[in-house]
Amino acid sequence: MTQEEKRFIEKIVTQINESIKSDIRIMEVCGTHAYQIAMFGIRKLLTPKIHLVSGPGCPVCVTEPDYIDALIALLRHENVSVATFGDLLRVRGSSGSLEEQKSLGRKVITVYSPEDVLVLAKKKKGEYIVFAAVGFETTAPLYAALLQTAQKEKIQNLFLLTSLKRMEPAIRFILGEAGVHIDGMLCPGHVATITGIGPFLPVTTEYNIPAVICGFEAMDIIASIGILCKQITGEVPHRLINTYKRCVRDTGNPTALCLINEVFRISDVSWRGIGMIQGSALTLNHRYEVYDAAKRFNLKIETTTTSFPDGCECGKILIGEKTPDVCNNFGRMCTPEHPMGPCMISSEGACAVYYRFGGDEI
Amino acid sequence: MCVAIPAKVIKITGAHAEVDIIGNRKKINILLIDELSIGDKVMVHAGFAISKIDDEYFDFLRNIFEEMMVDSP
Ligand code: SF4
Repeated sequence: MTQEEKRFIEKIVTQINESIKSDIRIMEVCGTHAYQIAMFGIRKLLTPKIHLVSGPGCPVCVTEPDYIDALIALLRHENVSVATFGDLLRVRGSSGSLEEQKSLGRKVITVYSPEDVLVLAKKKKGEYIVFAAVGFETTAPLYAALLQTAQKEKIQNLFLLTSLKRMEPAIRFILGEAGVHIDGMLCPGHVATITGIGPFLPVTTEYNIPAVICGFEAMDIIASIGILCKQITGEVPHRLINTYKRCVRDTGNPTALCLINEVFRISDVSWRGIGMIQGSALTLNHRYEVYDAAKRFNLKIETTTTSFPDGCECGKILIGEKTPDVCNNFGRMCTPEHPMGPCMISSEGACAVYYRFGGDEI
Repeated sequence: MCVAIPAKVIKITGAHAEVDIIGNRKKINILLIDELSIGDKVMVHAGFAISKIDDEYFDFLRNIFEEMMVDSP
């Protein structure tokens, strides 16, 4: 960071801290934002009147246990390997986690990219590879590109078990049905890289809440919080501002959006700790359903209401109603080494971030 | 999970490119990017380039802020 950039940050921080006279709540929807805010120590710079609360944007945290159970059920087939991003390994279903299955000798393969899955499928010709397709719109086009390539190259042993989620219905749920009170929203920059600004416009136009599409550097986050504060205090009118223009075009990434439309359709899905949100899922459409592991292996993913371990507040934390420190298990019975709830499992989960870097109280 | 990191394009071969990510060379998929040239910077998410990036962002952020000051009553 240059001296000029440092001075810019200091100037904004001073302006923010002088302008905020009463408590305000700003939600960072994205798990990566939660992590970066804590890592850069941004809370320490800001007045304690600004409460930064987390939202539902950690895909691993909102994945239902039934989905994990379905992946584990697949591993009972002799010829099936489950490929997954590392984040999902420790998430527990009612029958344990993929990590435990792996230690029992079942075929669980950690991958870095959908490209690795293609290589795997080509290498293990006599076997079936099921890729655990979890994520938001940022990752959805990657799965779509993978299937398009599989179709072109006539690869027939590759399947997806999808639990892909859309951000806009979740945001509407939080601001509408759940009635969570926030004064401003930091919108997820890498989801917007794909979707464009469209899904985030309603935050301001329909719910009249200041919103900024934000990048992930300290300067992006501080400048975005500064802009939110100017809107919250009424210095400037409420409107959606994109401070991450170096990456996010208004129309998003049209090639990626086309791919999503080519491969997926919109349907409903249950979010762990939150419940069913209509229109919030991306599932394979009729053109690509031959790649659907649920159909191929006759799996039923029940969408029962999630039960959490005793005292676990993840359900409230995921919608920004509570912060991890209010949970009695936090740091005592529940730590990243021995996580009880989903928010402690992913490194971007609100509880794991609080545990590692501290929270509001610093 | 939506983490993406910046990288610089060094070589392009069909649907893939070789990029420099903080000094390390990596092969990434570039199917999601139209019109990519050597020297371009991209954001990489799970082995795929998801967007080209423009480096002039500091000036941009500063400009937005200054515009806001003008907006203020
Ligand atoms: S600290 Fe653990 S038990 Fe408490 S809310 Fe977080 S994940 Fe759940």
